[in-house]
Amino acid sequence: MTRVLEVSQVHKYFGGVRAVQGVSLAVQEGNVIGLIGPNGSGKSTLLNLIAGVMKPTKGRISLDGQRIDGWPAHRIVEQGIAKTHQIPKPFLAMTCRENVAVAAMFGSNKQKDQSEALETAGRVLTLVGLEGKADSISSNLTVQERKRLEFARVLGTGARILLLDEIFAGLSPEELRDAIGMFTQVQKEVGFGALVVEHVMRAVLTVSGHVVVIEEGTKIADGSPREVVENPAVIEAYLGAEAVHAPT
Amino acid sequence: MNLRSILSVGPTLWGIGIFLVILGGSAPWIPGFLLTLVTGLLIWATLAYSLNLITGLVGYVSFGHVVFMAFGGYALAFGVGALNLHPVVGVALGAAVGLALALGIGLVTLRFRGVYFAIATLVIAVAALYIVLDIEELGDGKGIILNPAVEPLSVFYTILVTLAIEVGVTYAITHGRIGYGIRSIKGDEDAANTLGINAARIKLFVYALSGLFAGAAGGVYAWNVSGAFPYSSFSLTFSLQMLAMIVIGGMGTLLGPLIGTVAVYLPSQVFLTIPLLSGLQFIVIGLVVIIIALFVPGGIVGTLRKYIPEFRGMLE
Repeated sequence: MTRVLEVSQVHKYFGGVRAVQGVSLAVQEGNVIGLIGPNGSGKSTLLNLIAGVMKPTKGRISLDGQRIDGWPAHRIVEQGIAKTHQIPKPFLAMTCRENVAVAAMFGSNKQKDQSEALETAGRVLTLVGLEGKADSISSNLTVQERKRLEFARVLGTGARILLLDEIFAGLSPEELRDAIGMFTQVQKEVGFGALVVEHVMRAVLTVSGHVVVIEEGTKIADGSPREVVENPAVIEAYLGAEAVHAPT
Repeated sequence: MNLRSILSVGPTLWGIGIFLVILGGSAPWIPGFLLTLVTGLLIWATLAYSLNLITGLVGYVSFGHVVFMAFGGYALAFGVGALNLHPVVGVALGAAVGLALALGIGLVTLRFRGVYFAIATLVIAVAALYIVLDIEELGDGKGIILNPAVEPLSVFYTILVTLAIEVGVTYAITHGRIGYGIRSIKGDEDAANTLGINAARIKLFVYALSGLFAGAAGGVYAWNVSGAFPYSSFSLTFSLQMLAMIVIGGMGTLLGPLIGTVAVYLPSQVFLTIPLLSGLQFIVIGLVVIIIALFVPGGIVGTLRKYIPEFRGMLE
């Protein structure tokens, strides 16, 4: 069965600040949806709402028709939705293998057997290209490697819908090319669905089949990568009103 | 558990086990004053391992651990004094009271993190004294005095068995699947939650175990001194001494709390026997803790493990 995450009319207010105002979108297993928007537009907040890190003020989030909004984070992971952290949060005292094994033991697969979980971790680390670092303590990793470890951990949970918060940020052009290649291949192999929050346009337009644009907590555009970058509202949100009418 | 997994538990657990068995076997021949000293040492080791569970393993620093010890002591004193229970049953009652208290206190305080948790536990410890002072059944502020007909060997064996169980439990929870959960929470609680770990439940479980063993140790302590007295039972120095023991020995390690107890308890007893120095031991302990925290934060065992990689597998 193909799993579907549906977000409908979700709002999140922090006191008077309306971070997310009535956003709706859907992510189907197997599809990659890009989520873009200027700084502070509510992208990360939306991911946190879905992942159960925060509770929405209003609205409905469901997985295969079952409501999951307001559930604690660990139960959402059990249901098969897992999120990376914008700033990687590896367990610094553990090796990479152990980091991913934790995800396999407690995520949606719940592998009770430690040696099986460690084996799964080894396979996942190979998928993301960290096999050489499997037994290094994660505090020794570079920023780029930590981003990959974040990705490996959500894969390790066995989740079918991934929420990826800026996993391509802060990379050099070569690293970015490698990361995009790795991502595309793993996605094809594993077949997960993903909601990808990203600032790096090249990355998000390459990996996503569909892009959602939000500004100040509201959805302003929705379509294929090409449609979205040509949409005047999107250009205005990113570059200001003059850019839309500027002679080319 | 099959034979193979029993044999593969690692040299530290074996070492502690053999040490406790030899201690237990030779106890009838140990002279009285020395047995009193060893009993005190084992009571403190039980307390240090108890604090190590929540502070060393999970990373939640508790300044109020004396609460479980003191109520464990009062539970024994009340059980033996008013209900005529056998002291060993009194110790079990102390453990049950420690467990119940930890569940209640933990349900609220474990929502706080870092220094806020530490402050909350400290406040509870201070408040608890004034609550006990007002309870008529618990001696109405004067405490409960028991008949001092104590059989030293019974006290000794009770605490020996309690400590052995506690070390076994520590080993079991650090080596199972739950051990990964505990290490993850200590590493980064938010990340742990988003990987499917029910951090709230695991924290409460470990805190409850911690309260159980501190309650049992407090029961044995009260049995040993034939009573429970408010101002001395709730003394903040008890909490601090437990903390000093695990900081010096090595937080979160299997051997650390035992080493720390020996390193703190024995010199303290020497200080106590010399009238001029009595009371000054806390100044020395405080200085040592500061030096350890600044320069070798892993404590004795943590530092050994860091600089001698061969020890890494052995000390877990």
